[in-house]
Amino acid sequence: MIKLINVSKIYDKNVIALNNINLKFKEGETIILKGVSGSGKSTILSLIAGLVKPTTGSVLIDKKKISKIPDHFASSFRQEHIGFIFQKYNLINNLSVEENILLPLLPLNLKKIEHQKRVQEVLELFNIEEKRFALVKNLSGGQQQRCAIARANINNPKIILADEPTANLDEKLSLEFIEILKNLKSQQKTIIIATHDPLFFELDFVDRIIQVKNGEIIYDIES
Amino acid sequence: MILSPEILTIYILDGLFIVFATVAFFLSISIIKSWDYNATTQLQYSLEKRSYLASTIIKYMFFIKLPFFLFFIFTLEKISLILPGAMCGAGVVNANEYATILLFLKLINLYLFAYWIVLDTEDMKYEEQPYLKQKFIIFTVMFLFLIVEISLEYKTFYSIDINNVVDCCGTIFSLTDNTYLSKILSLPPWILLSLFYFNFLLLVISALYRYSYSFATLNLLFILISLLSLISYFGTYIYELPTHHCPFCLLQYEYNYMGYFLYTILFIGTFNGLVIGFIKFDKQEVILKYKVSLLLNFIYLVVVTLYPLLYYFKNGVLL
Amino acid sequence: MKLQNIWFVVLATKINFYLLEYSLKYISRYKYKNIFIVLIMSTLVALLASTFFLSNAMKSEYNKLISNYPDIVVTNQQALRDTTINENSSYKILEIKGVSNVIPRVWGEYYFLNANKKFTILGKDEYEMYSNPLLNENLNLTKDSMVVSLNVKRILEDSYYDDYFNFIKADGNVKKMLITSVLEKSTLINGELLIIMNKESAKEIFEYSKNEVTDFGVSVANKNEIPFIAAKIKTIFPSAKITLKEDLKVHYENIYNLRSGFFLTVFIISFFTFFIIIYDKATGLNSEQRHEIGILKALGWRVGDVLNTKLYEGIIISLLSYILGIGLAFIYVYVMKAPYLKKIFLNNYSLISNYNINFSIDYETLALLFFLSVPIYIAATIIPSWRVATLEADEVMR
Repeated sequence: MIKLINVSKIYDKNVIALNNINLKFKEGETIILKGVSGSGKSTILSLIAGLVKPTTGSVLIDKKKISKIPDHFASSFRQEHIGFIFQKYNLINNLSVEENILLPLLPLNLKKIEHQKRVQEVLELFNIEEKRFALVKNLSGGQQQRCAIARANINNPKIILADEPTANLDEKLSLEFIEILKNLKSQQKTIIIATHDPLFFELDFVDRIIQVKNGEIIYDIES
Repeated sequence: MILSPEILTIYILDGLFIVFATVAFFLSISIIKSWDYNATTQLQYSLEKRSYLASTIIKYMFFIKLPFFLFFIFTLEKISLILPGAMCGAGVVNANEYATILLFLKLINLYLFAYWIVLDTEDMKYEEQPYLKQKFIIFTVMFLFLIVEISLEYKTFYSIDINNVVDCCGTIFSLTDNTYLSKILSLPPWILLSLFYFNFLLLVISALYRYSYSFATLNLLFILISLLSLISYFGTYIYELPTHHCPFCLLQYEYNYMGYFLYTILFIGTFNGLVIGFIKFDKQEVILKYKVSLLLNFIYLVVVTLYPLLYYFKNGVLL
Repeated sequence: MKLQNIWFVVLATKINFYLLEYSLKYISRYKYKNIFIVLIMSTLVALLASTFFLSNAMKSEYNKLISNYPDIVVTNQQALRDTTINENSSYKILEIKGVSNVIPRVWGEYYFLNANKKFTILGKDEYEMYSNPLLNENLNLTKDSMVVSLNVKRILEDSYYDDYFNFIKADGNVKKMLITSVLEKSTLINGELLIIMNKESAKEIFEYSKNEVTDFGVSVANKNEIPFIAAKIKTIFPSAKITLKEDLKVHYENIYNLRSGFFLTVFIISFFTFFIIIYDKATGLNSEQRHEIGILKALGWRVGDVLNTKLYEGIIISLLSYILGIGLAFIYVYVMKAPYLKKIFLNNYSLISNYNINFSIDYETLALLFFLSVPIYIAATIIPSWRVATLEADEVMR
């Protein structure tokens, strides 16, 4: 259960990204945040991920006020419960697929066997096993995307956040991505996607569509 | 003044420490003044970031100070070669009134810094960060101690005069002077020895019953009694000379550098014991610390007892 | 108890080897910048290390030389100027308890005009035993013969003196001395311009009277008693200059320390400059690297994890530079015998003008170099690392 209560976010130079937002997300819901760039939808994702702290208001996930806790706890929480898929994937180009996928796990100091086990799982799940040792910069767009998704899932997070995931993809790959999303939804994960790709607005497994404009919620429809 | 490269190095690193410690000091002040866990202001977020910087600086200083302390001892030993009359570090330390205080202060500061790091680690385990303000207040005190230590260090090395003949440890630790030290040293050995072993027995008992405050206090006593018994009794068996009562000569090559080993385990063991009295650890942590403290103190006890025992077996008599 | 737990208790930290590996890979991913830093730093370390190694080598050679000197040298003075002493008063010193030997020495310098060089002449009787073994060899010194060192032989040959040499005495007369043999081995004495001859001949050249000698070389059995014996000698000969071997050691130690100190100062200045460069560059505030840190934080890395990674980076680079620097210095000083640098260290004030550089490892010097390089480099990276680690990940990703 994710709650944003009276949240405002103002960046330096008085840029108002969000203005007194109130939102509630239930577990297992799939939500689309609809809006153009600069509307504030990416900020909402960042707030839920605990990457930024709100200027006013609070963000709660499962009753935990993640906007309040010290950074190292927020980061731990993010690492454990949230998988983030970025707009430009944000993979490290000179590392291999496996190394990229393992990145979230490194600070935890787990045993190597555990690493291997988990990497194997997500490689199979997202169908990039054959590219395990390839450098990311040598991958195609679709493969990079699958790598990014694998990385977001290495910890089996409850919440998946995606920021404009299909912005750089053609239709075929976008549809592939949506298939993967369906898969994730079936695992009862809460999925929040910030996008203005119309492909998402017609989907049947989407529970809610929220329109964001100029830092405010315009409408919030159950679909 | 002697200006050897070693002393220059000490000065340079001391200068570095002053700079960074001052930074950490001002950070601490700002944190103590305005830290409000419940605030969601920019100030609070930036204070949170600053606490990371202060913590990193303090950890850095500790990890450099530790080997640097050994280097300091080496330098003392090296100076003792140039200083007429000194045959080991003791002569150098006795060369002027600052040096003894400096030595003790360095040790105390090592303990303080180590304590701060343990406190910091504990603090970071909990979301509310219960020790936050406390640890930075403690640091302001540590900062003062550090400044005093570094000033003393500058002063000590500056005023070492190679034209002054100093006493060697034979004179300093002699039994015939009228100082407190010689009075203690000339006590019959069984007094110090029984205190020593009895102290350890009490340590074991407190550990079994988990009496943390008595364990900590007993560890403090253990440091004192161990050092005294080392100088007065056990040392003489390491040197195999009943009149050699010097704690520094142990650090020399002829005795297999046994001094470093003994002092290290004594300090780590008692540090872990002491820290239990100051911080409330969770169960697993605290049991580990009890174990380590007891183990290391026990090793110290055993090694130090072995010397007279082996001497007896070899020679049939005691000194 | 696991090893990690013990380590934790001892040092209150755990090393995360995955982060260490990440740092290594990170360094190799930004190769060129890091190679640049390592090169500069190892050069600095190598320079400093070379001066220390050289200085240490000179010190040990000097100590070897000094070890053969008598413990106390008693030189008579008149009007605070060195003058000769009567041989017979040596018994007064021998009487002092603790003195093992007193050698009345006859030695001095002779100026050879043609070559503009000063020869050191040592007068020696057959039976006299010096501490320097080279001087104790059976030299077969007859009244008119002398043994010269290699350098002297060459200088004399340049002036066409092949088998003998004419010393010019104070009264203008000449004393001819035959060169019977040449000292091949280095005696380390006074620029290797040594001539050994029989005492009588030396006295004749110096125009000493029968009982005059240059000074007394006193050997003391128990080294700890030297200061006390020196004091006693002073009471016997109030106007004499008493030189202790220890004093010479200390004196030269100070000179070498001063020289090292000078280089150290130069080093500090260059390292300070380096420090400033590093401060900016080392932990990477260029956009690509900031972006990477942002990604890591978004993935759940804490500030502490990023800081540790940066610190590991700093440790790896500085440690590598340290080891490389030491290695380079070893090769430069002990293998190549330190060309150019050696000239800077030698001058007329050195008792040794030509010496061997023997290989020796002085752990304290290595420790000193460590403390002058690694902690300083890491200190320079603390604040930049912290800045990078506390970046708002959100900003970086936009």
